[in-house]
Amino acid sequence: MTATPRLAMTDVVKTFGPVRALDTVSLEVGANEVHGLLGGNGAGKTTLMNVLFGLYKADSGTVLIDGKAAVINSPKDAIALGVGMVHQTFLQVDTYTVTENIVLGTALEGGSHSNGLRAARERIVELSERFGLEVDPDAVVEDLPVGVRQRVEILKALFRGAQVLILDEPTTNLTPQEVDALFASLRAMVKEGMSIILITHKIRETLAVCDKMTVMRDGARVQTLDRAETDAEHLAAVMVGESHGSYETAAPSTAVALGATAEGATHKQVVHGDFAPAIRIESVTVRNDHGVDLIHGFDLTVGEGEIVGFAGVAGNGQVELAEALTGVRPLLSGSITVQGTDLTRAQTSHWLSAGVAYVPEDRHRDGILPKAGITENLILGSHRGRSARRAGLIDWKAARERASVAIDKFSIRANSPATRAGDLSGGNIQRVILARAFAHEPRLLILHNPTRGLDIGSTRFVYEQIREAADSGCAIVVISEDLDEVIAISDRVIALYQGGQAGEWPSTEVDPYEVGRRMTGLSTSRTGGAA
Amino acid sequence: MSEFLVLVVPMWVVFTLAAQGTILSGRTGVFNVTQEGVMALGASVGFLVSYKMGSNLVGLLIAFLVGALVGLVLAYMTTQLRLDQFVVGLALFFATTGAAGLLYRQVIGVTMTPPRVDTLPKFEIPLLGDLPLIGDALFVQDYVFYFAVILSLVMFWFLQHTSAGLDFRSVGENPKAADSLGINVTWARTWSTVVGTGLVAVGGAYIPLPFTGIYTDGMIAGRGWLVIALAFLGGWRPLYVVAGAAFFAAMDVLGQKAQVLGLGIPHQFIEMLPFVATLLVMVFALRWARQPAHLGMNYDRESRLVG
Repeated sequence: MTATPRLAMTDVVKTFGPVRALDTVSLEVGANEVHGLLGGNGAGKTTLMNVLFGLYKADSGTVLIDGKAAVINSPKDAIALGVGMVHQTFLQVDTYTVTENIVLGTALEGGSHSNGLRAARERIVELSERFGLEVDPDAVVEDLPVGVRQRVEILKALFRGAQVLILDEPTTNLTPQEVDALFASLRAMVKEGMSIILITHKIRETLAVCDKMTVMRDGARVQTLDRAETDAEHLAAVMVGESHGSYETAAPSTAVALGATAEGATHKQVVHGDFAPAIRIESVTVRNDHGVDLIHGFDLTVGEGEIVGFAGVAGNGQVELAEALTGVRPLLSGSITVQGTDLTRAQTSHWLSAGVAYVPEDRHRDGILPKAGITENLILGSHRGRSARRAGLIDWKAARERASVAIDKFSIRANSPATRAGDLSGGNIQRVILARAFAHEPRLLILHNPTRGLDIGSTRFVYEQIREAADSGCAIVVISEDLDEVIAISDRVIALYQGGQAGEWPSTEVDPYEVGRRMTGLSTSRTGGAA
Repeated sequence: MSEFLVLVVPMWVVFTLAAQGTILSGRTGVFNVTQEGVMALGASVGFLVSYKMGSNLVGLLIAFLVGALVGLVLAYMTTQLRLDQFVVGLALFFATTGAAGLLYRQVIGVTMTPPRVDTLPKFEIPLLGDLPLIGDALFVQDYVFYFAVILSLVMFWFLQHTSAGLDFRSVGENPKAADSLGINVTWARTWSTVVGTGLVAVGGAYIPLPFTGIYTDGMIAGRGWLVIALAFLGGWRPLYVVAGAAFFAAMDVLGQKAQVLGLGIPHQFIEMLPFVATLLVMVFALRWARQPAHLGMNYDRESRLVG
């Protein structure tokens, strides 16, 4: 092909502090092309697209659009160059109509405002018919379902003349029918010469709609493939590891994970069944935020000192499972017993006193009080206990002393126990949350993506702490999208797919490719529960 | 009845000007609570300038500028320093209340007979002024009344019928969405607060002008707080505010009359009615009385915390 590609990004580098989020990444997308951008969480897909859309400024690298160098410092620049982006969370004014949302911020033509709106409305109807993006232009967006609101976002980009359209995990909250309709629309757009970049981690969808796909891993491009020359098995292998047989020499985070395994050689590697059962979860059903019973009839037993790892791509019930196991999300049915105590409908304080500790995925939102100091954050949850009190009031002097000890022990980089938690870096926030979890002397510890966004040192530290807790008899559930992490740290690995257990292996017998296939739903042997 | 209306209309002007100023900034998300103080300062400054310069118009203009200055402080503190709108607003209320009395004391001192300024001349609109009942009240009025009418219509037109108004309102509904589409959130909030607070001050400055021509401390008498209630009652929409202001003004005059005439109803009861009405509307007409989604919330583009 001699034609200049629509979009060419070359050697893009982006660092956040010490973390290299994008490491000389290049990407070429042609006209008439749906280009899939695949990879696990933290692979750098969204970061790369945020650079293209002007939300992040790259440290180095070039962007060419239609062969011309593009300087993109803000979304405004990107829009002017014909780049549109549909984010996972929609930026819409709830009380405005579809038309009003779409024209917002544009200079309307046609003299008066009402004429301009009428002309815009006609264009929206025309665009929506042309690409099969069915919307009522006069509906108020707050009354619309997610699928339609997404069409509004796409129309917003089309209305501004987007030639390159980025969609960030567009299918997450769509029904299968809506996904089909969306893909049909995308095909109609590329037929007219547009270019579409689809950020996803779902292999089936990629194969259904993409012409080409680029796989990313740990901030680097692994490979760009043609739809014609690949299949699901191959793609899964590329996503999970570098290539067959070179698993050990893969990307840096894998090395860390494997390093942890090597260090953990002293940790008792025992087959399932040797652990005295500590936690019993029986036919648990929980509903997700969209009213779907994603986790249905879930059974699980975790032994004392056992580390059970759940591997899976985001959106397969991880959040629901973690929140059910910690008492955050109400159970529709089923029961949870911790060390013989039935906690099924117990108050949160009972969960805490039973020794359940939770390290949530979204540490900023669910893990800390950002405006409170480290001392206050550390005492949360144990503030009811007698040891934290003196004469009926919280003993702040003792709390500060304990906080100082924790800052030392967990190497939290902070000036004093009074430092506001929100001012700490992500890694240090995670250390605070871990310090709090371990201070509870947990008997069940649930960790969700415990090392996401952490540097190598912090990651290693987290692994050490988890092993130490397991050695002292704590039952541990690690839920992670990083397959290497799950394999490195767990005694037992379970693949999670669509809220069910799609396979289970003792750590000594894990084949990462098999886990990768199961967690992307490629093997059909999905079992609802049954550990 | 006609006489009653003649008393109500000037009070309507006071409520309308201050409330339109309040909803102007409210529509971009800045919740102004300085009215009680800014109206007093407007009344004091407006009176003193008219008294010294002999021109009501100059007095009103200077009052506007002083109010605008207070608005600039409010906007700077909330958009640039991102301080809590309510806390800054209350602080400015106390500061301006104090400044109003202080200025008067400094310039006039303590006197046995308070100085007066001229009241505003009234203009009659030919023919319409001769209408029975409403003619005197609506068509034989001073220029501030006509200004309030035109202001209300212009604001309605701007907010509901222009592209700029569509962009402007989005700032108070979802500043993040507005920002992502290239609308300048800080600028919209700043100018609306500056102009809006200026209008609040003019509302205060107008109080002595129709009848008495004198300034006294405490003459705002809680009307500034009523203006906030009026903004909510009117659903932050200019035309509803016009109607609400008429109701508030009628209750206000009725309260004064009840004292003089001895209607048998305690005047405190009547003065309470606007608040009761506002409460009832908030309870029963939630959707109609909706407010800008981000009213009172500062916007920080780089905030990591979910709003």
